[in-house]
Amino acid sequence: MDFPLSGVRVVEIPGGVASGFAAKQLAGYGADVVCVEGLSDLPPLSDDETTYLTAGKRRVDGSRADVSALAVAADVVVEEGTPGRFDVAAWRRYKPSLVVTSISPFGQTGPYARFSSTNAVSFAMGGIMSLTGDYFREPLVSGGSQAQYFGGLHAFAATATAYLGAVLQGDGDWLDISLQECAAGTTELYGPMTAYLGGDGLPRMGNQTRAEWGIYPCSDGYAGLFALQRQIPGLFAAMGDPELLEGEWLDPIYRTQHAEELVAKMYVFTTDKTKDELLAIGRDQKVPIGVALTPADLLETPSLAERDFWDDVDGVRVPGRALAGLEWRSPDRLHTPGEDTDAVLEEWLA
Amino acid sequence: MKRRPLEGVRIVDLSMMWAGPYCTKVLAEMGADVVKVESPRAWDNIRTLIPQPGADDPWNSAFYFQEYNREKKSVVLDLAEPAGRDAFLRLVAHCDVLIENYRADVMDNLGLGYDAVRAVRPDIVYVSMAAFGKTGADRDRVGFGPVIELMSSLASLTGYVDDPEPFKTGISYGDPVAGVHAAGAISLALLQRHRTGNGCFIDLAQRQGAAALAGEAFVTAQRTGGAPPVHRGNRSERWAPQGAYQCEGQQQWVVVSCATDAQWQACCGVIGRYDLALLNVDERIARHDELDEAMRDWAASLDAQKAMESMQAAGVPAGRVLDTATIHDDPHLNARGFWVHVENEKMHEFKEAGIAWRFAECDNRVTRHAPFFGEHTSEVLTSVAGLTDAEVDALYSSGVTADAPVNPGIG
Repeated sequence: MDFPLSGVRVVEIPGGVASGFAAKQLAGYGADVVCVEGLSDLPPLSDDETTYLTAGKRRVDGSRADVSALAVAADVVVEEGTPGRFDVAAWRRYKPSLVVTSISPFGQTGPYARFSSTNAVSFAMGGIMSLTGDYFREPLVSGGSQAQYFGGLHAFAATATAYLGAVLQGDGDWLDISLQECAAGTTELYGPMTAYLGGDGLPRMGNQTRAEWGIYPCSDGYAGLFALQRQIPGLFAAMGDPELLEGEWLDPIYRTQHAEELVAKMYVFTTDKTKDELLAIGRDQKVPIGVALTPADLLETPSLAERDFWDDVDGVRVPGRALAGLEWRSPDRLHTPGEDTDAVLEEWLA
Repeated sequence: MKRRPLEGVRIVDLSMMWAGPYCTKVLAEMGADVVKVESPRAWDNIRTLIPQPGADDPWNSAFYFQEYNREKKSVVLDLAEPAGRDAFLRLVAHCDVLIENYRADVMDNLGLGYDAVRAVRPDIVYVSMAAFGKTGADRDRVGFGPVIELMSSLASLTGYVDDPEPFKTGISYGDPVAGVHAAGAISLALLQRHRTGNGCFIDLAQRQGAAALAGEAFVTAQRTGGAPPVHRGNRSERWAPQGAYQCEGQQQWVVVSCATDAQWQACCGVIGRYDLALLNVDERIARHDELDEAMRDWAASLDAQKAMESMQAAGVPAGRVLDTATIHDDPHLNARGFWVHVENEKMHEFKEAGIAWRFAECDNRVTRHAPFFGEHTSEVLTSVAGLTDAEVDALYSSGVTADAPVNPGIG
């Protein structure tokens, strides 16, 4: 099998979810990922996180390994933790083609560089939390560890790009990935709007940003209707309310001025329908309608099985490839801690 | 100064809204030459979603468009017209990557599917990023970022304690997630092409990329027999206390997250509750309501920034809930030079987000504002695609290209 990263050696010095996910992606695209454990200054992964993020990687006992020797024997290093733990500049001098990706909550420099963080703290400092949740309640952290996953995703893509640059130009680099900056640059229109127009921070708008852009209860759960102006005629046709097809409701200004009335109509539309019925309407009318699915629901979703999405880790299904078109290596199993120490030291450092 | 990693790579970008444009923004910052192609009758909606009041040509001065389309060039071609499609294919012949985020059937309907494009550029990396992918039972569904959040299970994981309502993130989170996945995939595909000489067709399903950001939830679901996710609000399953606590002022909050006994003991020193300092983690989780009350009492009269700093000084993970205004004044982001100003003659100065992928050695600064509509049509079609001036003039006179959208409204 020809993977995009066949033959590429990656050292992961794990810290948390971010480095785990970045290196997991590199492993999936064929890299030989060696996880040098026991060096972290962050809370350990949970058992379920370990099953997902560590499977398919070789695991080395950090107390028995010279991490610098392993780093310069690799093509790529991904590390997460407090800045300044390693002499990355020395690694780069010794091996100029080496790509080193350092992931941290606030980056390698600046007044918060050594601040302590968890996912919730990073989510708060990235700006997205202020926009999430009900205005009359506290701002809400997104489920799972999204600040860390999103930073890890950035780290994966940045590492792949830097490695491509190293192959094309013969010289690697040192990447400084800050979880805060990954989020701060993705506040959609809201951050740029405040920066451009001025004023106070924008309020949380809960599940209904606009009447036609929101989540509503349905008979067996929750559904979301998300229509731009060009999809409004289709949405209103699907709703079957003749009043909505009159011209004034097609005017976005009028809809804004009569938002409460339109929200009420949305409730009427969704409340007596099932999730399946609403999904069918969305597909038939080409209107963006989604329903709130749980992980258990997704495990039974035919489309994902058809697209060969799931990997199997010791009998447990976990998300695998995000795409078709590049070969993906499913993890073989979850290795035990330190299991591969002797083999890796022999292969890489002998 | 070292060259950026993608210098010499040309990307033709048919993507619109946020997912695809976020991908090509990131890649343009890495040095790729990104040519954004829009139609006179179907431009990127972001140009006109929230127009700048009073502007003569608001599609050229939208802050939303500016933020996510810097460093790109703009070419306007109506791909529904044969002459537009022909000019487009002549351009594609000189590109390394094509990216689009249309509904799954659109490119084939335009006659611009993978086979048609590969006929003029055999080693093209062709990236399609439909919401649910090009194959499978859900391929005909349409979706924006919030739909992806719902259908990937991410929204089901988010909610207040004892409240079943799922919550979407306050942004269209599925979009940048898909965009970053696509960026990584493009670099990998170019790497593979460098080694093999072969391009490829990448069918990225936005839902799959989002679901991958909750992998442990699928393990948990199988371990618990398919039980629905437990909504914990801002609390952690593994440590306590963790929450958002209101500070002095309108909507000012600080998050405190004590992941260890030592951090909790330090936290007790900051809030002056030494009586609680010896609680172990199980006791803290069990008495979370009581600890939240103590934290709320501490925070209520404090400035959010000072509250964060006092906790951090004691070694306790804490962060101010930065909103869309305070984030631009954050001392740390400013000290790191994260906010940048990119000159644009049609807009006043404002703080734009800088580059998230900081390379220590190569010079990846932001240098160019988002392109005006059709700003580079003639330049690119003649110097890259090889059209003559007369051919470009004919495209203008026939309406296949234009320097302004036809009948622009809002959205």
